[in-house]
Amino acid sequence: MLRITGGKVYDPLHGIDGQIRDICIHDGKVVDSVDGGRTIDASGMVVFPGGVDVHTHVAGGSINFARAMTPEDHRRTVAFIRSQTTRSGLGGMAPTTFATGYLYAGMGWTTVNEAAVPILSAKHTHEELRDVPIVDKSCCVLMANNEILLDLLEQGEMERARHLVAWQIWAAKAYGVKAVNPGGVAAWKWGNDAKQMAETVPGYTSLTPAKIVTGLAQIIDELGLPHPIHLHCNNLGAPGNISTTLETMKSLDGRRAHMAHLQYHSYGGDDWSTMRSEAPAMAEYFNQQKNLTCDAGAVLFGDTVTITADGPWQHLLYKLTGRKWGNLDVENETGCGIVPYTYRPSNLVNAVQWAVGLELLLLIDDPWRIFLTTDHPNGACFWRYPEIIQLLMCRDFRQECVTQLSEKARERVHLPDIDREYSRFEIAIITSAGPAKALGMPNKGHLGAGADADVVVYDEDEDIARMFGHPRYVIKGGEIVIEEGDIRATPEGREFLVQPSFDREIEDFLRPLFEETYTMSFENYPVEMHRIERPEISECIDVST
Amino acid sequence: MVLVDIRETKSVKASDIFLQIRPGKDFEVITILRALVKEQPVDESQVQETGLTLEQLQDFVDRMKKAKFGVFFFGMGLSMTRGKHMNSAALLTLAAELNAFTKFVAMPMRGHGNVTGADVIMRWQTGYPFAIQFGRGYPRYNPGEFSTVDLLVRGDVDAALILGADPGATMPQPAIDHLARIPTICLDPKVTHTSRLSRVHITTAATGISAPGTGYRMDEVPLPLRPALKSPYPTDEQVVRRIHEAVLKKPDWLQQGNRMALNQV
Repeated sequence: MLRITGGKVYDPLHGIDGQIRDICIHDGKVVDSVDGGRTIDASGMVVFPGGVDVHTHVAGGSINFARAMTPEDHRRTVAFIRSQTTRSGLGGMAPTTFATGYLYAGMGWTTVNEAAVPILSAKHTHEELRDVPIVDKSCCVLMANNEILLDLLEQGEMERARHLVAWQIWAAKAYGVKAVNPGGVAAWKWGNDAKQMAETVPGYTSLTPAKIVTGLAQIIDELGLPHPIHLHCNNLGAPGNISTTLETMKSLDGRRAHMAHLQYHSYGGDDWSTMRSEAPAMAEYFNQQKNLTCDAGAVLFGDTVTITADGPWQHLLYKLTGRKWGNLDVENETGCGIVPYTYRPSNLVNAVQWAVGLELLLLIDDPWRIFLTTDHPNGACFWRYPEIIQLLMCRDFRQECVTQLSEKARERVHLPDIDREYSRFEIAIITSAGPAKALGMPNKGHLGAGADADVVVYDEDEDIARMFGHPRYVIKGGEIVIEEGDIRATPEGREFLVQPSFDREIEDFLRPLFEETYTMSFENYPVEMHRIERPEISECIDVST
Repeated sequence: MVLVDIRETKSVKASDIFLQIRPGKDFEVITILRALVKEQPVDESQVQETGLTLEQLQDFVDRMKKAKFGVFFFGMGLSMTRGKHMNSAALLTLAAELNAFTKFVAMPMRGHGNVTGADVIMRWQTGYPFAIQFGRGYPRYNPGEFSTVDLLVRGDVDAALILGADPGATMPQPAIDHLARIPTICLDPKVTHTSRLSRVHITTAATGISAPGTGYRMDEVPLPLRPALKSPYPTDEQVVRRIHEAVLKKPDWLQQGNRMALNQV
């Protein structure tokens, strides 16, 4: 039992905006009142629901490949020394698993969604997620380049495709579905890409990216997954790609979707030298589309390593930078590319990217539909979120940062003209309440009775980045995990799954195809339940509109 | 299939073209190939050193560029001979550069046992694949300094736990001598060179035959291993857990509270 008393509480779901309330905790849940137990005096402090990361890459084949590729970064980064409560590890661009849990919890984030898991290596991802302590976890399975599924979508066999999607979600023990560069990664196996929504995907006769997106979004709504299609649009990162993104949004035609790292999809211009921000146009359209949510995928200047299933984009990035490049192809399902990268304020393209992420966060007017992410580690590492919070809450600081940009870059962006400052209430929405709602996790992101007792207590501090980077207390599932800057306990987190219903006969269809085209036996393909540490199966919902 | 080796191996029969190069000239061959891929001039005398002709190399480059999907498979002949990791790096660069023309990848052929699995797990737990030193309480990496063979040859370790490997059969004699000198504990289902020189040999169930587990394929795809037989012996995991539990009963020497090394040295 635990009572947090006297703190200014920010609980956007219940409209609580800095009022002084007591938060009572019993048995890992928030309750109305408790008798006895420990009391934390939070007078003069700020109380938030634990942070929720809707889109991050912390476990699985791709981030682990990135770890292998960047020993020079491990060497210069913060190291966690083994103690009685913590295991050793390394921070940096691609932190090790234990360190990932400590770093997230250390800034008050208690739930993370690993955004890209191939079914074929999902066992690996779940094994890594087991080794990420403290935080609760979920993951999205990669689908929009799965060749068996693409064939069904091309043939218009939607009924069978729906059963297949449901089967695959359960086989991967996933929570949601991620679509990355629909059709483009499949085409990359042959050195091609799919950039335009209406163009046929190379290797197919009539299948277009638009057809994949709408087909998958439709299926996911029919299955009633709590989290809608998690969509990484075609033509990521390219100048002028706003047209592709808007076309994708239009093709969804009212179906639910979460647009991942929208920053990378909101550029104007014709080439690298004319690239500019189209954030206002994007925000204007997005504001009207109530079926959509998005996350920022914001960029911060500095070193990072980019990892994405978008193989062709990564090859381009390798050619642009001349730095290391790793590529993984995952049989018939997907692929992945890895390139270390440094975002520089002096670089025109990087400057535009930096501005676009912040502009989207500031121009999209409903904080319940845009969430704080950096597409870790692509735009920046997740442990730099407090820097973004400072940029959003403090206009003067933002304008000071704008002066780092070249004059040419400043002409291409709109950030200098934006005066909006986020309130703490809005920060609580974009970091916790909003993403929890978009993920369909009713017990996360708020402090009402029945919620999971994931609570963060910050010291009030004029230095916003310091305040949000160093919480005084972090409580996870009712247990105090961070106290006075020290990791006091490292409980194992839970993993959220969904089990959409499907017809068992889909296996009769899949098995012969699988045995013909895959390199393992069918029985070994699905992830067995015993591999999931503390699973929690979420209910599907009714999405009929 | 093009086979490159220093001698005629059994694989020659399976290959369409066999390129026999001089021992220790891998780096030179790969560098010349990289030049030819980019249509840069190469020095005839340097070509001669490799044991191949310019025609052979040019033909090889043309074939690679024309391939729809090319793969380099490479093994210890490349990574453990003169040049070592520089050879591997050169080959990976060649594969990357070929992607300007066609799809090309490179994949290491892994050795015995579940070496890829060990690699993968060490990476997610410590950031590094092997040669990891925990002496300062956090992982540090330096092949040549902290790799098993170098530690043993220098006599820097005073106890060893050997799991899923038989270094007694493969390592250089000074390393083996040191293993025999110190208390070595070996977990293995069968009698091996290492088990013979160990102070303690604990017989364990064979993973995949009588113990469950996960094996990682060389393309890092995990495969579940399901036991077909029962074994009277404990699994590797059970033995390690019991050792760990026993160690935990000893007084904890770790400090209270957390420490971080902000500047690794």
